[in-house]
Amino acid sequence: MRILVAEDEQQLAHVLATAMRTKGYQVDVVGDGQAAVDRAQENPYDVIILDIMMPVKTGLEALKEIRASGDSTYVMMLTAMGEEDDRVNGLDAGADDYLTKPFSLKELLARLRSRERRSEEFNRDVIQFGDLTLNSNDQSLESHNSISLTRKESRLLQYLILNAGKSLTAEELVNHVWSDEEADAEDVWINISYLRQKLQSIRSAVTIVGEKGGPFSIEQAVTSK
Amino acid sequence: MSIYGSYDQVLPKILETTRMRIQQLNDQVVAADQPKLYEHLIGRVKEPASMEEKCRRKGYPVTTESALRRCRDAVGLRIVCNFIDDIDRCLTQLRQADWCTIVKEKDYITNAKPNGYRSYHLILDEETPYTDIEGQNPGHFFVEIQLRTIAMDSWASLEHEMKYKHDIKDPERISRELKHCADQLASCDVQMQTIRQLIHEDDEGMGQ
Repeated sequence: MRILVAEDEQQLAHVLATAMRTKGYQVDVVGDGQAAVDRAQENPYDVIILDIMMPVKTGLEALKEIRASGDSTYVMMLTAMGEEDDRVNGLDAGADDYLTKPFSLKELLARLRSRERRSEEFNRDVIQFGDLTLNSNDQSLESHNSISLTRKESRLLQYLILNAGKSLTAEELVNHVWSDEEADAEDVWINISYLRQKLQSIRSAVTIVGEKGGPFSIEQAVTSK
Repeated sequence: MSIYGSYDQVLPKILETTRMRIQQLNDQVVAADQPKLYEHLIGRVKEPASMEEKCRRKGYPVTTESALRRCRDAVGLRIVCNFIDDIDRCLTQLRQADWCTIVKEKDYITNAKPNGYRSYHLILDEETPYTDIEGQNPGHFFVEIQLRTIAMDSWASLEHEMKYKHDIKDPERISRELKHCADQLASCDVQMQTIRQLIHEDDEGMGQ
């Protein structure tokens, strides 16, 4: 992972950078908010750690600018003990996590590991389920045969698989698959219908159970109703 | 004298007979207020030279008997359909037809070839008013039928172009792209069929 640390206390910045580099991370250190914004524009980071109280621009101002530029990098804020408003404002301005000073290095490193797991292990591009291989990378579905999926079908199937065995309402599917877009139970039904036909066309034993309107669930083998 | 011998003149007539019979199947379906079976129908008698080449490749003696009996694609027709379920409707009609029996079926639609080729192949044993090589009349002739959607047909044309162009720069990449394209076309075919079913959900007779 490549990490940007914005911290004006040189001693602390040095300790943080050294510890993270020991763990194999690539670390850049800056000492003020403006420098953080500049670096974030230049380089692709996996994590940005921003101290709140910094010269030139505060961490909060830097965060707002970074987010306004469309950058969705994972941001962790370093806030002072007791400053509840800083934490709330930081999270509301688009931060993903925070640590209150003084914090333990051990905890920071654990959070970075957790972050790494989330991005690498949980967002796998290729999922296996029953006789199916879903590759969300190129939106392809493979079993006996292979077929392409649309983005919606791919996300819908992924969500069904990650929640296999659970009964999911049409509303839950709309919320997770379409997120911000306008969609209703009818859109869910059409896409369920597409997926069913596609599963059939590649001769998969996997079935999506559920009547029009939902709820729906995915199963590995055909079950008699 | 070509490999087809005295059947040189007969094979085009068999092609015409089969074409007419398939057109009749479609006419009956349309007369019963059902959607047409196919979009278009094309046919050919295999060029004598390619038939000879095929016999040699397969290790058969280069004889009329090989061309008509061991090889079963001297006469071939391709039925190109709008939708996947039209292929099933064509199959139903052909299975019920009294002028032929299906002697071999290869479903490359549910079992697409690794390169992405999709099509449904049939070999018919067709009864015709022409004397066959065993001297029977009505005579029996083999006819190969290929059924596919328009999308599968366009893909096959493109693949055919690639196969016969030997100076392609990066054939692996093109093959990969073609395979991907075949999967996307299959995706569209399935989506169109699904939409068609959703439109007709409440109708009687369209069926699954």
